[in-house]
Amino acid sequence: MNQTAQNLDSAPLVDETYYAAVTEAIRAEAARLLTDGRVAAVIGYVAGRRAGSALPAVITTPERAGELIFSPACRNNLSVYLTKPKQDAVPKGKLAIVVKGCDLRALAGLLGESQIRRENLHIIGIACAGVFAANVDQSLPLSEATIAKKCRECTVHLPKEVDFMAGTLPMLPQLAPVEAEELARLEALTPAERWAFWKEQFSRCIRCLACRQVCPFCFCTQCLCDRNRPQTVENSVRPAGNLSWHIVRAMHLAGRCAGCAECERACPMDIPLNLLNRKMAEELKERFDYEAGLSPQEKGPLTSYQEDDDESFIK
Amino acid sequence: MHTEKHHHAFEPKIVAFVCTWCTYAGADLAGTSRMQYPPNVRVVKFPCTGRIDPVFILRAFQKGADGVLVSGCHPGDCHYMAGNFHARRRFTAFRALLDFVGVDLNRIQFSWVSAAEGGKWVEVVTELTERVRAMGPMREFRELDMEEHWSAHVNTPELQAVYNAIP
Repeated sequence: MNQTAQNLDSAPLVDETYYAAVTEAIRAEAARLLTDGRVAAVIGYVAGRRAGSALPAVITTPERAGELIFSPACRNNLSVYLTKPKQDAVPKGKLAIVVKGCDLRALAGLLGESQIRRENLHIIGIACAGVFAANVDQSLPLSEATIAKKCRECTVHLPKEVDFMAGTLPMLPQLAPVEAEELARLEALTPAERWAFWKEQFSRCIRCLACRQVCPFCFCTQCLCDRNRPQTVENSVRPAGNLSWHIVRAMHLAGRCAGCAECERACPMDIPLNLLNRKMAEELKERFDYEAGLSPQEKGPLTSYQEDDDESFIK
Repeated sequence: MHTEKHHHAFEPKIVAFVCTWCTYAGADLAGTSRMQYPPNVRVVKFPCTGRIDPVFILRAFQKGADGVLVSGCHPGDCHYMAGNFHARRRFTAFRALLDFVGVDLNRIQFSWVSAAEGGKWVEVVTELTERVRAMGPMREFRELDMEEHWSAHVNTPELQAVYNAIP
């Protein structure tokens, strides 16, 4: 890569005033909500201890509303805190939640699956310019070199139907897709080559299950993969069980996953998990004309049917 | 009636997941009508195709199946009204996923066989068995099942010695 290209790569995509404005708007809204007692807590981000980092936080008093921030390090999908397994982390009652466009799609899925009620939520949407990829130096500005793959192809910079919108969207350059190209490359391979690719990827899996813990849709109280009577998925860390786990995971998310790509970010072994999710989303869109997360829908593509569905593969 | 016996170098293991109301009865009919079909198929009975979880197919392959057959009632004939409609969608998605992961879809067959279709059962089982026989054993999953996971490579003589000492 030559010097000019590198300079272009690391040039900031948006200026600091944008983040300051969004942060200010979130703080003001949170303080207003908590002072009026309209919500029991605000789920948002606060600054982490390392420079530029951010942490999810549950803010319950107006005094602490000033701690809330928005920065490119605010990557977590906070809607996971609204699910049943995380219910002890948040107070009971009406909650305000800070969401980016991609998080809102997960939230729409949870609303559709009756995990949460809209009237118990106050949604603070963010006009989001994008967030960092995993494993980048967070003290750097958001640039083409540090932006997450999902943000390069973002279609939901502005979350829709929120109660409050924080900030205004700055002008953003069009970035070349990376993930779509990788998906197209895999699709063009022969099945044997794809098998080799995934075998290598899954063999790295250490089964920490971070992908499950971070997923808003993995809210089962007992995961199928933890059961051992009967055991369906081998739970020791061996290639056979790893493959089953990732296939079962992709299958259980098919038609539900809205592509927040948190699984891929949380993965310590850098397995491209969102490729599986994205492939399934594309297949279901093509076959059943269904897209997850656009609006709360009661029935997903795999929980409903048409009598004239395609059955060309069935004898 | 005695058909000529063939000896093949490879006898595939086929696991058939069938619904109790249609295909199981269809297979039963094939038996009581004394129709001949390959003995390679192992039938596992379920209440409905809607009960057949894709993970069963994965497990069958991992435990040594060379081919899998999933069969149930024709659309509209489900004993539970819509189980097979749901199964149809689920397996459409599952096939796409398996294809993306790189599994050869020729090893998996889906079919509708009613309680009256003993002949169709024979035809489906024979065709799948012969197709899988021509493809040879399902090596991918079995190799995966044999493989141990190592977080590090055995790349030093000391590690190799420890590795060899594992009983």
